[in-house]
Amino acid sequence: MDANSIMASLTGKFPEDIYDSNIESGIRIVAKVKPQNVVEVCRYLKDELSFGHLCCEFGADYPDRNEIEVIYIIGSYDHPVILTMKALLPRENPVVESVVPVYWNANWYERETYELFGVKYLNHPNLKPLVLPQEMLGEWPLRKDYEGFPNKTAKNLV
Amino acid sequence: MEETVGPSEMIVHLGPQHPMMPGPFRLNAKLRGETIVDSEVEMGYIHKGIEKILENKTYLQGITIVDRICYLAALTNEEAYVGCVEKLAGIEVPERAQYIRVIMEEFSRLQSHILGMGEYAGFVGFVSMFMYTIRDREDIMSLMDSVTGARITHSFLRFGGVKDDLPDGFKDDVKYVFGNLRKAIDQYEELFSSDSIYKARTVGIGVLTADVAKDLGVSGPPLRATGVAFDIRRDEPYLVYDKLDFKVCTQKAGDVYARIQVRLDEMRESMYIIEQCLDQIPSGPLFPEGTAYGKRSPVMRVPAGEVFHRVEDPRGEMGFYMVSDGSDKPYRVKIRGPVYPTLQTLPPLLKGVTVADIVAIAGSMDTCTSEVDR
Amino acid sequence: MDEIEQKNVEHTELKDVGYDDVPGMVLTDTNFISDFIKKTKVQDVLNWGRKNSLWFMVNAMGCCGVELLSTGMAHYDTDRFGIIPRNSPRHADVMIVSGYVTKKYLPALKRIWDQMPAPKWVICFGDCAISGGPFYESYSTHQNIDEIFPVDVFVPGCPPRCEALIQGFVELQKKIDAKKDKGTDY
Repeated sequence: MDANSIMASLTGKFPEDIYDSNIESGIRIVAKVKPQNVVEVCRYLKDELSFGHLCCEFGADYPDRNEIEVIYIIGSYDHPVILTMKALLPRENPVVESVVPVYWNANWYERETYELFGVKYLNHPNLKPLVLPQEMLGEWPLRKDYEGFPNKTAKNLV
Repeated sequence: MEETVGPSEMIVHLGPQHPMMPGPFRLNAKLRGETIVDSEVEMGYIHKGIEKILENKTYLQGITIVDRICYLAALTNEEAYVGCVEKLAGIEVPERAQYIRVIMEEFSRLQSHILGMGEYAGFVGFVSMFMYTIRDREDIMSLMDSVTGARITHSFLRFGGVKDDLPDGFKDDVKYVFGNLRKAIDQYEELFSSDSIYKARTVGIGVLTADVAKDLGVSGPPLRATGVAFDIRRDEPYLVYDKLDFKVCTQKAGDVYARIQVRLDEMRESMYIIEQCLDQIPSGPLFPEGTAYGKRSPVMRVPAGEVFHRVEDPRGEMGFYMVSDGSDKPYRVKIRGPVYPTLQTLPPLLKGVTVADIVAIAGSMDTCTSEVDR
Repeated sequence: MDEIEQKNVEHTELKDVGYDDVPGMVLTDTNFISDFIKKTKVQDVLNWGRKNSLWFMVNAMGCCGVELLSTGMAHYDTDRFGIIPRNSPRHADVMIVSGYVTKKYLPALKRIWDQMPAPKWVICFGDCAISGGPFYESYSTHQNIDEIFPVDVFVPGCPPRCEALIQGFVELQKKIDAKKDKGTDY
């Protein structure tokens, strides 16, 4: 299965949901997805196009566009193509459906994106902070307008 | 995991400081008798916010930070980061530099596997094995030290090349060390395979089947121990790996014993790769000729774009996703570590095993907590 | 409150009997004995024993933790100096802060410190423990560990070599020998 046929199959199945798609090279393809239908697209990718390996899922903050991107990087154990799929969410209230039912290992990625960016995942089995202490929840430290960075408390600097 | 405890059940917290832990993490296990009913992993005890720090460092400064993501695989972390920038900026690395990178990354894999195996052997009560592995690891560390000047965090790779050439007489040193190391690895294998108590604790324990492992997103030795030949060095070759002859080591069983066996085989393969590289390495420059790379340049701008680059870490698939906005600092860097999904598999794997098997299973995964937390 | 009053009463009773007047005779609790010993040469003998059995706790927290493991093992063999890695804080005399102390980890580290029996010492191993190191700007780490624990020796480096840790121990031994360490009240 090569990049062209994967892209053709994907856009053919979801003409409404997949847009701005691009084939960067033989092993890298990029597409944007409507956040409402992420789970269906992911299920199709896993079942039909053998994209069985979720490399990672994370957020990226774009305050000038007032958007938070949730980026899914999905690879496969059978073919070398990697799909970079982006869902654009509004910055005030980023909500997206969780893909844990499809990709089991998205669990921690989504918990981390939640505590670092404030993206809320619907139907997530256990949405609570992963790497930060509970009292830091709500600061969303990886957003660009986070004020606690740089931390100026260090005293023994040489 | 539900906090409610049924009749004759109890919750045991292992960690964050616990001798079995390679780094601090916490395992809450709900026990019925001596059997684990349910468990949960708590992370974040050494979360440093590397992704945020990288956004505020220039590209060159970032190399020293990515070293410290996983201290046992500093060179492969650097390769993933530097490879990202090279892809974005379109830098061609000269062949000699590529060979040196491969040599150093395989050394990194060698010392990581040898330490991971020793630590694991210590966890299952085989402490003399830990002593042996650390003794043999020191030889590899001295070799790496002679090239990079550091033992753990090397900061050796640069955009477009490497910091230093191999020292004189390096090939002879490698030959001498590998002679001893081959014997040592045979000795480890014999120790592991001849001890009936050790086998009773590992064979058939913590079995991952290929389908489950794929479903859980595992990569690296734990996946290869289930029979899936997934290796980025072969599937998506970077550097000069496509010119080298090596085999992807797999095992069928998928249990604790098979994972250790895969690591032993991979160590032999790494030594074979290093010897090939030392034979094949051409002479030439360390940086692309006619460019400023390698010279002192405080500011380096990278064209805007987004790229995902992945390499084969000692523990599996290491990937960097980098967004550049054309300035001298990356806009966003995401680090995809291999242990992140592997550590997530602990709760399903631990279901139904006894308490004594926790250390065997968790240790055989060769977890590096620093990389999970970042 | 009651206990203190009782002790005071006992003390005055003792004074009334005049036991203080008997030269070289002490009839009281262990605190008094240890305070008394601190003024004598016996403390030198005790310190000699303490400095030659500095058991440290294996608490690998970061990059330096790997060097910490190597130091205690076959090649560097710190057992020669009586410096032995222990896995339990209850057995240990020295806590080595070997890495970045995060906000989430600090309570656990304090608890480890409380579990260790006195006399006990702290070594800050590596730049992260001293000042934050490369992560001095981070939003999730604690930078000034010396304000929280009584640190005796700082071993700089990122990460320091195993030899540096051994030298750190030697410096700690010197401090104990000179009665200048923070682990004991003199």
